[in-house]
Amino acid sequence: MEHHNGTVEATLAAYIRDECLSRNTTVDLAYGTNLFDAGIVDSAGLISFIAFIEKNFGLSIPDEDLLPENFVSITAIADYIRAHQQIGHELREEVSGLGS
Amino acid sequence: MSSVKKCLVWDLDNTLWEGVLLEGSFRLRREVVETIAELDHRGILHSIASRGDEDLAMAALRENRLDGFFLVPQINWFAKSQNILTISKKLQISLDAIAFIDDEPFEREQVAYMLPSVLTIASEKAQELPDRAEFSPGEITREAEHRRHFYRAEIRRDLAEREYATREDFLLSCKMQLTVRPMTGDDIPRVLELMTRTHQLNTTGLIWDRTALVEAFHGRPGGTAVMVGELRDRFGWYGIIGTAIMDTMQSSWRLKYLAVSCRVMGRGIERAFLASLVHTALGRGNTSPEAEFRDTGKNRMMRALYQMMGFTATGETGDAGTLIFRARPDWLPDIPRWVEVL
Repeated sequence: MEHHNGTVEATLAAYIRDECLSRNTTVDLAYGTNLFDAGIVDSAGLISFIAFIEKNFGLSIPDEDLLPENFVSITAIADYIRAHQQIGHELREEVSGLGS
Repeated sequence: MSSVKKCLVWDLDNTLWEGVLLEGSFRLRREVVETIAELDHRGILHSIASRGDEDLAMAALRENRLDGFFLVPQINWFAKSQNILTISKKLQISLDAIAFIDDEPFEREQVAYMLPSVLTIASEKAQELPDRAEFSPGEITREAEHRRHFYRAEIRRDLAEREYATREDFLLSCKMQLTVRPMTGDDIPRVLELMTRTHQLNTTGLIWDRTALVEAFHGRPGGTAVMVGELRDRFGWYGIIGTAIMDTMQSSWRLKYLAVSCRVMGRGIERAFLASLVHTALGRGNTSPEAEFRDTGKNRMMRALYQMMGFTATGETGDAGTLIFRARPDWLPDIPRWVEVL
């Protein structure tokens, strides 16, 4: 399970390592870390992060979804991404089903 | 219409001083030193893009007590356009807010060709610069006079951050103190400056004119309140970095406006400021604080701030088409641990 779900989390962690952390840091970022309480992401950082997520995962994140439960940690964001990729997938299937 | 410049980049030989340093003789130009001091007082930064030997040039500036004026000087043998790009990146000032002064037409042409948005100036014009619109930012605030020191402190912060393993350790080490207090008459120019200069961390983008602000300031008892946030840390004083306007007319409490300087982005200061205001409102018995937001196309981060801090859109709209947000009733927003609110 861990391995199966690892790629989304790893992509997010790599972004944070490159964009939000000091280059010299030696500390590994736990997926459950509260990104806001740890000072890693703030309002400005979140908007850049969202732009990255939208581009990288082909999502469009509506304003209403900018909530702590969706963006508090790498785990929460990865769950959100998977849930919405799934919805997109089902919608596409539904549309192609209607066509046949 | 010329835009106001934020940084003036100087050539040294035959511009800042008469003569060529490497040839052994130079004489400072008095009118140049006066221009430097005057623009510095107005909050315009100075830097250097010059060919030559860095150690020698800096020693000459130090001897004449001028070195402190110049941020991130670039003294080397690279093309001046390259050095101006470096300065722009290091100070995070866009090219169209940079001017370059040099005696050599070749250097001015090279910069104008490579970086057309940079304003180029011939060195014989140095004396006239304080009279030009591009170097006249209007009313001078305490923050403007201090701007050079803010940048120096910021460079020290960047260096210090490398000594810490985590961002949180670094932020805790800064010992940030945010004073949230009512605006005074002396603060009005700075509050107006924040309103016009702040685009991203600005909840409505609406600019209050001086009259409206003064009226709000004198306010009716229990009416509109204008607050400012003033920040300092172990590296120095940031000045007033945020302003908030609240309507407390009825038993309700509504945040009409919130702007936080982009200079303090990335430190959770906007969270600390908002949380502190909400705590005060809750403390006074206003159980459902409200906040207004207007989408300006640039300020999505303020909507994110509201929502991440427990405010939700009500679907109602206020004056000027603002959206009204209301705090979740069971929610007490946290002040980041690394900020002490006074």
